[in-house]
Amino acid sequence: MTTDDISKSVRRIDAVSKSNGSIKYMCDYELPDYLWARLVRSSIPRGTIREIHLPDLPEGYRFVSARDIPAGGQNQLSMIANDWRCFADGDVRYVGETIGILCGPDKTVLEDLYEKIKIDYEEAECAVTIDEGLACKGGAFVNGDNIHCRLKLEKGENVDDVFARADKVVEETVETGYQEHVYLETNAAACKKIGSKYQFLASCQCPFYIRKSVAPILGIKPEDIVVQQTTTGGAFGGKEHFPDVLCGPLLLAAYVTGRGVKIVFDREEDIEFSVKRHPSKVVFKTALDRNGDILAMDSKVYYNVGAYLASSFVVLQRGCFHVAGCYEFPSFRTEGFGVATNTFPSCAFRGFGAPQTLFAVETHMCHIAEMYGRDPLELKSKYFIKQGGVTSTNGRVVERVMIPEMLEQVLVASDYCRKAREYKPGSGRGIGISFYNHGGAFTGNGESAIIKARFRLKKYKDGHVELFCGQTEMGQGFHTILPKIAAHVLEIPREMVIFDDPNTDRVPDSGPTAASRSTMIVGYLCEKAAKLAKERYKTEDEFEIETQYEHPEGYPWDQSSFQGYAYIGYGWGVCAVEVEVDPCTGEVTTLGVWSSHDCGRLIDELIVHGQTNGGIMQGLGWASTEVLDNVKGHFKQTSISDYIIPTSMDYPKQECFYVDNPYQWGPSGAKGMGELVFNGSAAAYIDALSRAIGKRISSIPCPTERVMDLMLHGEGLDSALNAAH
Amino acid sequence: MEEVTCYIPRTLDEALEILSKDDCTILAGGSDLMVSHKRTIGVDPRFSKSVMIIRNLPEIRKIYTEGGECHIGAASTSSEIAENPLVPWHLRQAASRMGAVALRNSATIAGNIANASPKGDTPGPLYLLDARVKIRSAKESREEPVSDFIVKFREIDLKPGEMITEVVVPLSEDDFDYVFWHKVGTRKANAISKVTVSMALKFEDGGSVVRDFRVSATATGSKTNRSRDVENIIIGKEISEDLIEEVAEAFDGIISPRAMPEFRRETCRRCIRRFLSEAERRRAAGDRRKMIDTYDGYHMPGAPEVR
Repeated sequence: MTTDDISKSVRRIDAVSKSNGSIKYMCDYELPDYLWARLVRSSIPRGTIREIHLPDLPEGYRFVSARDIPAGGQNQLSMIANDWRCFADGDVRYVGETIGILCGPDKTVLEDLYEKIKIDYEEAECAVTIDEGLACKGGAFVNGDNIHCRLKLEKGENVDDVFARADKVVEETVETGYQEHVYLETNAAACKKIGSKYQFLASCQCPFYIRKSVAPILGIKPEDIVVQQTTTGGAFGGKEHFPDVLCGPLLLAAYVTGRGVKIVFDREEDIEFSVKRHPSKVVFKTALDRNGDILAMDSKVYYNVGAYLASSFVVLQRGCFHVAGCYEFPSFRTEGFGVATNTFPSCAFRGFGAPQTLFAVETHMCHIAEMYGRDPLELKSKYFIKQGGVTSTNGRVVERVMIPEMLEQVLVASDYCRKAREYKPGSGRGIGISFYNHGGAFTGNGESAIIKARFRLKKYKDGHVELFCGQTEMGQGFHTILPKIAAHVLEIPREMVIFDDPNTDRVPDSGPTAASRSTMIVGYLCEKAAKLAKERYKTEDEFEIETQYEHPEGYPWDQSSFQGYAYIGYGWGVCAVEVEVDPCTGEVTTLGVWSSHDCGRLIDELIVHGQTNGGIMQGLGWASTEVLDNVKGHFKQTSISDYIIPTSMDYPKQECFYVDNPYQWGPSGAKGMGELVFNGSAAAYIDALSRAIGKRISSIPCPTERVMDLMLHGEGLDSALNAAH
Repeated sequence: MEEVTCYIPRTLDEALEILSKDDCTILAGGSDLMVSHKRTIGVDPRFSKSVMIIRNLPEIRKIYTEGGECHIGAASTSSEIAENPLVPWHLRQAASRMGAVALRNSATIAGNIANASPKGDTPGPLYLLDARVKIRSAKESREEPVSDFIVKFREIDLKPGEMITEVVVPLSEDDFDYVFWHKVGTRKANAISKVTVSMALKFEDGGSVVRDFRVSATATGSKTNRSRDVENIIIGKEISEDLIEEVAEAFDGIISPRAMPEFRRETCRRCIRRFLSEAERRRAAGDRRKMIDTYDGYHMPGAPEVR
C-alpha cells in the first residue's frame, strides 16, 4: 500500500460536518456560566486619555483595564517583539487600541453600558500613510525616526558602480494597499480559570503563541495556561498573532472577576479593529544597458507597520528576501524599512510580506520591457534563477527550478504568445504573466534556532494511532493531510489515525501553523515518526515515538547579517491572466486564469487545487476590488458590502497545473504551498489590465473607477520611466 | 431596556387600522431595516418606535396587468419581480441583479423605494418607465409618481398612517425599439451599484426620427436622475453625432455625483453615446435586436476579431 499514490484525493475528514453545519465553532459554545465581554477601544489615532467616564455598572458588571494588572504582571503582548501593549495606558497610538474590557452576564445590558462609556482625549496629530510616518508627522513616536526596523542586503558588484557606467538608470515606485483577511468566522475566544490553570478556548492558528504572549500579563508561566483550539473558520494569517489581542484582556478579566469570560467579534468590529496586510511602497532604481537589459537593481522597501512592531520585522525581512522575485540579477541591493504610523498594527497575511515585493518587481520588470517595446515575458525569461543560483542573501537555490517546464504548461494552456502578439495595447483585451516563488517554512535557521518543532505519535492497543502536534486546521485541510501522511507510511486505513484540534497540555509544541510550514516541516516529522513506528506497529500494543526537527547540514544562515540560505525549499509559480475591459464603464472581465505551481509532490490533489483556486482569487481581489482606505486612522470600509471580496462570478475560469518536483526533506516530497498560490496572480492581472487599456499601472488595488481614471489620464505603456537623479 | 410593540396584521385593512392609531415603522422584507437597526452579534436590533410587519399581507403580494399597466404589490420580492414575465424588462433586470439570492428573496419593491437610497436598484427603471406608487391610509388612497414620492436622499413623501400598497408601471416597453440597462456593480454578483444607467428609445414607425427617448441614472446624485428636458433634445429629430453629444452633455448637467464624480459622469456619458449611436446603427442596418449593452463583446480600436 506504500505504492498508493499519496496525491490521489480523498474525502476531507471535515467535509460533512462543515457542509451540514453540525461542527461547532466558538460562537456555538453555550458556556452558560461565562460572562460576555466587549473590548473598549480608542476612537482616536493618537493622543492622551484624559478621563474614562463609565456609567454606573450594575452588580456583576466590571470594567477591567491596565490598572488591574497585578504586581509582577506586565502590560504587554509578547509576540515576536514585545512592544504591543495589552491595554493603552495614558496614551493611545491607533484607532481601535484596547483601552479596557467590559464584562457582564447579559449581552444586551452589556451593549447598553458599552454605548454609554465616554472617553475624553487630548488628540494629537497623527501619521497614517508611509510618507506621513517617514515625515514624522505629529512628531516621531518610535525610535526618534518612526522606523520600527530596517535591514539591508547586497549581492554582486556594488550597484552604485554599475549605475555610474549604465546606459540608463530608471526609477519607479510601486505601491500596494491594505488587505483584510475576511475569514468566514470572526475572531472569538473564551477564558476561565479551571483548577490551577487558565483555560482558553480560541479560534486561532497558533495555540502556543497565545500561551506565550499573554502569560506575562499576570506574571505567570506559559505552562499555567492551557489553550484549546476550537474549530477555526478561516484565518489566512489573521489568527496568527491577533488572537493574543483578545486573549490578553480576557485573561486579565478572568483573573479579576474569577469568572469565565467570552468574546465574539461581529463582522464590522472584526474588519474595523483587526490586523491587515501591510501596505507597501517599493522604490526601484534600475540600471539598464542600451537594449534595456538589466545590469543592477536597487530598491527601497517600505512597509506600513502601524503603531507596534509585533511580528512585522519578520514580515519585512521576507519582503526583502523576495524583492528579486524569481530572478538572478548581476548586481542587487535592497533596503527595507518598517514604518511606524498611527494605524492598527499590520500583521501576518498569506504570503507574509512576499506578495508586496513580488508584485512590485514583476510590475517594474513589465514596465522596463514595455518602455523598450519588448514583451515582458522575453525580458523576464533572461533572468530566471536556476538550481545553484545565488539568492539575494548570497545563499544558493538548492532544488531544481522548473520554471521552464511550468511556463510551457501555462503558455500552451493560455495561448499566451498569440494573444500577447494580437491584443494591441489599449485594444480592450490583454493577457499578462507573472513569475513568483515562496520560501517554505521559517527563514534561515528559524526552524532549528527558534521553533525546534517536536512531534509525537502514539499507538493504542486497538490499533489506532494518534498524532500530537500544535498544528491547526483552519480550513486548509491539515486534518486530512497529516493522517494521510501517517496512514500512507504505516499502511493502515486513514480512519485508524486520530488527529484532534490541539490542546497545549496534550501536544508537544511543533511551532505555529504559519509560513507554509505545516506539511513541509511537521508533516515530515510525522512521516519520520511513522517510519520509526512501522515495524513496532505490528508487534507492540502501545508505544509513543517523538521526533524533533533537524536542520539539514550544509545550508548555513546568519540571522544577524541575513546572509546564507534563507530557504532551502521554495515553492515556484507561473500565472497568466486574460482580461477584457468594458469601454463604456471600465469594468474588467477576467476571461481566464492559468497557473502552474511547483510545491514538490502533492499530498492531496484536490486540497492543493482548492488552495490554488482560493489563493489566486484572493490575490486577484487584492489587485482589483479590495479597496481599504484609512482616513485619519479609521478604516473606511467596515462591512462585506463595502469591502469587496470577489465572488465565484468574478473569476469563473481557472486552469491549474503542477509539476512533480519531490523535495528531499518533505513528506513524500511535499513542500509548502498555502502562501505561494497567493503570491503571483495580482501581478499577472495588472499586467493584463495595463496592456488591455494601454496604460501603466503601478499601484493596487485597481477597481473600476480607477480603470476609468487610467483610461482617461494614465501614462502610456511605452512612455519612459523617470530617469534617476 | 425600552420595548416596542410589534404588529403582524393579517389583512390590509387591519394594517391600515393599526397605522391610523400607531405611527409604526413598516417592515416588509427587513433587508434594509434589520441591517440599519442591528446592534452587535447576539443582541436584538433596536427600534425606536412600533414595528409593523406587512410581509405576508396577501393583498400586497400580487403581480398582475390591468388597463395596459403592470401592478406590482408592495411586498413583492425582487425574486418574484425578476421571474415574472408580466413585469417590464428594465425592472426585471434591476431586480435580478439586486444583492445576492437570499436578499432578493426577502427584499421588496416598496422597501427599495421607501429606503430612498440613491444607490437603490429599482428606482432607475421606475423613473424611466414613469411608474407610480399607490398609497393608502385607513381613510384615503392616492397615487404619486415614484420620482416625486422619493423626495431626496432618505426622504419620502409618506405621511403618518399611510403605506405603499402597490407600484404601477405603464407597459410602454413593448413600444420601445431599443432598450439599455447596465449596472456597474462593486463586483460581478452580490453587488451594490456604483452607477446604473437605464435607457429606452423608439423611432417613428418606419422612420429615422426619434419618437421617444428616455434615460435615467442611479448613484449619480441624491436621488435617481432623469429629465424630460434632456430627452426632448433628441425627440422629434434624427440621431446625429452632434445631438448625441448634446444629450450626453445635457444629462451630465443634471447629475451631481459626490463621490467618484469623474467616473460616474464619464460612464453616463459613454453609455448614452453608445446607446444612441448603436440604436441608430441598428435602425439603419435593419437590425431589430432590441437589447443594447455597453459593448458587443469587444470592439475597441485595434482589437482583433472576437472568437
